[in-house]
Amino acid sequence: MIVKVNNLVKRYKELLALDHLNLEVKEGEIFGLLGPNGSGKSTAINCILSLLKYDKGEINIFDKPMGPDAYDIKKDIGVVMQDVAVFEELTVYENIDYFCGLYITDKLKRKELVEEAIEFVALNDYKKFYPKKLSGGLLRRLNIACGVAHKPKLLILDEPTVAVDPQSRNNILSGIKKLNQEGVTIIYTTHYMEEVEQLCDRVAILDKGKTVALGTKEELKAMIKIGEKITVEIFNLSSSSLEKIRELSTVDKAEYRENTLVIRSKKGKNNIVRIIEFLNDHNIEFGKIYSELPTLNDVFLEITGKELRD
Amino acid sequence: MFNHIFITRIKCLLRDKQLVFWSLMFPIVLATLFKVAFSNISASEVFKTIDIAVVNSKYYQENVGFKGAIDGVSKEGKDKLFNVTVTNEKNAEELLKNSKIEGYIYLNPEVNLVVKSEGLNQTVIKTFLDDYKESASAIGTILASNPKAEHANLVKAATTFKEYTKEISPSKGKPNTTFNYFYALIAMTCLYGGFSGLKEITDIQGDLSKRAARINMAPVHKMKMFIYSLCAAFLIQFNEILIVLGYLHFALKIDFGNQLAYILLLSFVGCATGISFGTMISALIKKSEGLKVGILISTTMIGTVLSGMMYANIKYLVEKSIPILAYINPAALITDGFYTLYYYNNHQRFFINISILTLLSVVFCLTTYFIIRRQKYASL
Repeated sequence: MIVKVNNLVKRYKELLALDHLNLEVKEGEIFGLLGPNGSGKSTAINCILSLLKYDKGEINIFDKPMGPDAYDIKKDIGVVMQDVAVFEELTVYENIDYFCGLYITDKLKRKELVEEAIEFVALNDYKKFYPKKLSGGLLRRLNIACGVAHKPKLLILDEPTVAVDPQSRNNILSGIKKLNQEGVTIIYTTHYMEEVEQLCDRVAILDKGKTVALGTKEELKAMIKIGEKITVEIFNLSSSSLEKIRELSTVDKAEYRENTLVIRSKKGKNNIVRIIEFLNDHNIEFGKIYSELPTLNDVFLEITGKELRD
Repeated sequence: MFNHIFITRIKCLLRDKQLVFWSLMFPIVLATLFKVAFSNISASEVFKTIDIAVVNSKYYQENVGFKGAIDGVSKEGKDKLFNVTVTNEKNAEELLKNSKIEGYIYLNPEVNLVVKSEGLNQTVIKTFLDDYKESASAIGTILASNPKAEHANLVKAATTFKEYTKEISPSKGKPNTTFNYFYALIAMTCLYGGFSGLKEITDIQGDLSKRAARINMAPVHKMKMFIYSLCAAFLIQFNEILIVLGYLHFALKIDFGNQLAYILLLSFVGCATGISFGTMISALIKKSEGLKVGILISTTMIGTVLSGMMYANIKYLVEKSIPILAYINPAALITDGFYTLYYYNNHQRFFINISILTLLSVVFCLTTYFIIRRQKYASL
């Protein structure tokens, strides 16, 4: 195991931020920590990195106990914090060079690595720019470059795409994929389930400091009872018709709001066909109709009773 | 690793415009303003010849000695003491009433002075008359006992003052009451090194900034980071002090005496105290950087005001009424260090100041160390 967290408990006075958290991250995977704001993702990361004191538990990285003085472990870890953590007084190049230099003492090697990192985040045209001259997206890319320049074996990214434009987000996500393909193990925390869906091999869903679900995306989705989500555009649906739809054997839940009928189907085949048949049989006119497979949000919703972004 | 961290920290400190303003530009601007203000004060303190009147009477005309004395101090030249108007009593009274003269003298036959208020000029006139009376009395007594004595030599001997002691300043510096203001200003500049110290701690203490949290994740010992960063801060601050000293000495002509090695030693220790004070403030106060800067500025300003930057005599008042405050106020110690180098002929007090400053620096550093050595934080 690259990272092993056992029974981690962290309190902020009365607030239980991490409640006997258990995690295992395997070598070479992208491990997602998914949860709403305040679920304990960043706290977990900061404890894993030995930045935060914790009340109980054990943390091992590369099969060694992690601690503030574990420099042999730290040299192989890269961190990209949630907030941009760079020096305003240094240029893009100097920032990356400084952080890389804390890990790599050989000047020539460092120069190569810094150039590679700049290439990696596509900041070649901004090498001599100071951070305050960069847009939010470019700043995030600089933040990432500072964390990856020394080529860590384990990279921890704490919500690196918050407040980032779609273009920069895609750039960041594809970069993370690329790093993983090069052999870097990645822990990725986010509250954007789309990113987890796109990136992660395995996911731990956190809520109130606890792991509420853990597994591959497929395993998580298989855990829940709903199959697909069917959305139908209907301009006029009577409450009696809605009741009849709810009574269908394939329907778990149905809601009608603002000319849109949303049906959460039970697991099974041909659910959408049955709905279309029902609408036709009852002469209910409808417009667009489409089906979506369950998402991690559905998993979270079913387990906790709330949306990921609540 | 030392070079890497040291050079980067120097870049960060030099490119921080706010820091450079407070630690270098502000003292230079303030010193210039002091110089302009004190030049006007000096001009106002230049001695001006005093306007007096002497009532022209038969006693005055007959008193050859007094007439000679008045002529002597109203002769054109650098020793001219009085502008003398010889007039009648009524006119003299009128001149005094209209403040055209500071006082008038009449003889009846005794020498008398009439003034309408008390003040420095009136005291000068009175002192002159007292001296005259004393000398005239001495000459009269000698002539009575020895009528053969030569009058001219007697007058010369009685009116000539001879110094039997000689003042020697080890620094060969002339006393100047305004220098203390500049010494206090240098003390303020030394203590403004606290800004660098504050910044350095903010950048290595994980619960103070995100940058520091990232740096804490690097495989570099925190104490190494602390020491290397402080070296950079010290180099910058010491050079800034040298620039300020150079500006004061060469541009504003402020005299520091001729003991350059001791001046550098004092600046060196002063910088160390200032920087370590800033590190302690930064480590102790877990609030916003703005608040820390505010606390640093206010404590430094209070310290320098108490060391005489705004009113020179306050330094002596503090030393007299609350001596302990003078001993724990780094600004007062630095100011006093420069003062003793300029005026004193031994270094005992100077080294007491240096020792206390060193002790304070050690206390500030140790306090910082005990706070930042905690390597995990309760919250970030």
